[in-house]
Amino acid sequence: MIESLLEELENEVGNCINCGFCETVCPTLDPSGFSLWKGARGRVIMGRTLLEDTKNGIPIPALSDSFYSCLDCHACLYVCPAGVNAGKVSQLSREIITTSSDRKNENPYARMIVEVTAKYGNPLGVKKQSAAWSEGLEFDKNAEYLLYTGNMFQLMPYTKNLNSARKSMGKALSNFMASRVAKHPSLIKMLSRMRDREMEQKNFGTLRNIVKLLRISGIRFSYLGEEEPYPGTFIYDLGYIEKFAKYANYVYSVLKGSGAGKIITVDPHTYDLLKNTFPRFVANFNLEIFYYLDLIKIPTIEKGPEKVVYHEPCHFVLRDPKYSKPFQVLSTTADTVLARRNGNRSRCCGGPDELTFPELSEKASQIRYDELKSTGADIIVTACPICNVNLSKENTTMEIADYLASRVRS
Amino acid sequence: MEHMEALREILGKNVIFDTVEKTPYLSDASAFTGKEPIAVAVPETVDEIKRLLAFCDSNRIFVVPRGGGTSLTGASIPLENFIVLSMAKFNRILNISPADRYVVAEPGLRLDELNEKLSEINFFYPPDPASSMAATVGGSISTNAGGLRASMYGTTKEWVLGLEVVLPDGCVITTGGKVLKRSAGYDLTALFIGAEGTLGVITKAFLKIWPKPEATGRILAYYDSIEKVGLAIRNIKASGITPLIAEFLDRITMDSLSKAKGMSFPATASYMLILDVASTELSISGDLEKTARMLRDLQPLELSITRDPDEMARIYEARKGAYSSLLKVRTSSNQRVIIGDVVVPASELPSALKEIAGKAEELGIMVALFGHISDGNIHANIFAEPGNTESMSREEEFQRYLGKVALEHGGSVSAEHGIGIEKKELLLDQERFTSSEEAIEIMRKIKHAIDPNGIMNRGKIFD
Repeated sequence: MIESLLEELENEVGNCINCGFCETVCPTLDPSGFSLWKGARGRVIMGRTLLEDTKNGIPIPALSDSFYSCLDCHACLYVCPAGVNAGKVSQLSREIITTSSDRKNENPYARMIVEVTAKYGNPLGVKKQSAAWSEGLEFDKNAEYLLYTGNMFQLMPYTKNLNSARKSMGKALSNFMASRVAKHPSLIKMLSRMRDREMEQKNFGTLRNIVKLLRISGIRFSYLGEEEPYPGTFIYDLGYIEKFAKYANYVYSVLKGSGAGKIITVDPHTYDLLKNTFPRFVANFNLEIFYYLDLIKIPTIEKGPEKVVYHEPCHFVLRDPKYSKPFQVLSTTADTVLARRNGNRSRCCGGPDELTFPELSEKASQIRYDELKSTGADIIVTACPICNVNLSKENTTMEIADYLASRVRS
Repeated sequence: MEHMEALREILGKNVIFDTVEKTPYLSDASAFTGKEPIAVAVPETVDEIKRLLAFCDSNRIFVVPRGGGTSLTGASIPLENFIVLSMAKFNRILNISPADRYVVAEPGLRLDELNEKLSEINFFYPPDPASSMAATVGGSISTNAGGLRASMYGTTKEWVLGLEVVLPDGCVITTGGKVLKRSAGYDLTALFIGAEGTLGVITKAFLKIWPKPEATGRILAYYDSIEKVGLAIRNIKASGITPLIAEFLDRITMDSLSKAKGMSFPATASYMLILDVASTELSISGDLEKTARMLRDLQPLELSITRDPDEMARIYEARKGAYSSLLKVRTSSNQRVIIGDVVVPASELPSALKEIAGKAEELGIMVALFGHISDGNIHANIFAEPGNTESMSREEEFQRYLGKVALEHGGSVSAEHGIGIEKKELLLDQERFTSSEEAIEIMRKIKHAIDPNGIMNRGKIFD
């Protein structure tokens, strides 16, 4: 396994001539204080170090922060004249690090997330609470479609407070705590009380609005409730590829077991993972994957008076697939603009680093927020729970489902 | 670690000591690898730079200023006993005055970002190295960068009105300023242009700006010989037309772009010419047709004209990324590309290229050729294996030969990449060839007068 990963890494870094174009669009370079190892070109250089040291049997230095801090947005790919993807270098490097027997390069939070997910089917051990949003709602049984929330909206209120706790603890203590939880996953249960309840209510409302929009559009669907597993996004993104392969098959069996052949996802991370990554790990993958906006047909929507700026989630615009449905839908309901950096030059909100590098994440989100605000728009609309939380600096950021639901004429 | 406390006192959190974190600063866009620096400073204020340089001067620590890290001659990598001084946080535009035709910019600002801002008022800063996406104001001044538009607008030195510079002892001087005319003693601004950070640290630049051309169009033509391309350009220039850009690419370069970007080129073409014409909306069509006629006289295999902005941008980006795309056609995983950069009078380019191609064949090395044909600037990109002594010795022989060809045709061993580490011997060759050995001595004396302890980017340009 490690040999094939090293070969793939060699192919990627071998095409890089060090021109530095990639670091000009890398969303983590500026927030890192312009420390090159947390920029795209630096990651390719660190990837070379990892490759050479591993091949030569030299102990790998403590370089993993370079790869773990990558937001995986793939903006670098679009400006590289040679098609080198520093995001892929980061992903492969994380996979090599987690596959190697040398554990010192592992990020303690990454390890914690993976161990807790393995035990509880949820990265923060809050699987049960993840169905609370649906209280009072009735779902169809044995429907053609299955609503699969992927737990993303439900997890955000916990990660926000977890980060506040991390900040007050300091890096060393918080890393120690993460290591303890990784060894004893049940300790994560302390977390279930540490959630931002206001955000939880807001996100529950978003999920209910998604249900409302789907129902108005005449879609009938089932929902697994407390049985719904987390999709494994973190396990894959953090490089635990063998564990992910096993976990993805488990998730697939649960989804398949629902009897539905069509899966409705509600966030871009889960959508991309199920549509593009699962088929590589699940033999004979046979589910049709939708993002809920694919299915929305609302005849009675009212155009709003506000100027709206749409922040494109990386998984919809920089990674496969190129998905413009949210912008199309939004444009029909509001005067919608994009930020200066948009399309394949779009800039990540910093969200994916929220758990592993909270300070960097905060700075990255501020930069993107300022870009969005500089358009003069009244409202920032996102189509991703992570973007939404990271860009909610004032009370002017909305999830697209909430915006659309507010425009539906009853 | 020695000096750690003092550097922290000067720079606070703006300094990196960790060995792993410093690793990327050992490289730039050249094939050279530097030595681990004592520290990497990423200052935020001129005062920090003043204090840092004064400290380094007192302690005989060498300093390499770093902009975008796009040097192709190793000018921005640290050697023994160095501190890297990253100017990344000096990345603002301080003032734009279209009426007085200048912009005041900080040195860490990337050239494409500067031009993006200027384009909002329909102006631009013409120097346009292929690396402009990553290259910075300070770095491009320090190498006197040229680029694609040098055909019409000349190189960086034509566009710098003045500089603010921190000298090695920590003093700050301002040379020149916001005005086009100035006749007040020695031109110290010129002294810092192309100095590769060996005299001081640029902290502010006063740059001339210009209105964007009203209309532009692009001609793509493919030929079976470089002589035809050279002759076509000579005819066009002699007719009074100055191309905005005129770029040639050889077959290997076209193949690398096919692999990297999925672009397609006529199968039998040996050379591609990209030629831009700038004009007014009223005259552009006629000017493009007139130029195309002269190109057709030399029997191109194919010729097309476009004014479509997206198509023009696609070709432009591909040409600018040509160097970076080359590793796509390497024949072994150990190969790196070492870019050569020489210049000859434009009309001499076809014969010079023929000699260069012949030498590559004789040495049995793979060389990709592209460059700025309108100003005679040739980039010969050598595929070499840095760990292989034989390969590197052939590469060195080829580089010396390139320099010889340039000098024999009346050109220079360096057109726009500077000297850095790579071309120190070639610079000596040039001075010997022109019987100007004393010129190097004058350079050394100037260096000594400004930097008596030799702390600024020691070991670059000359020893």
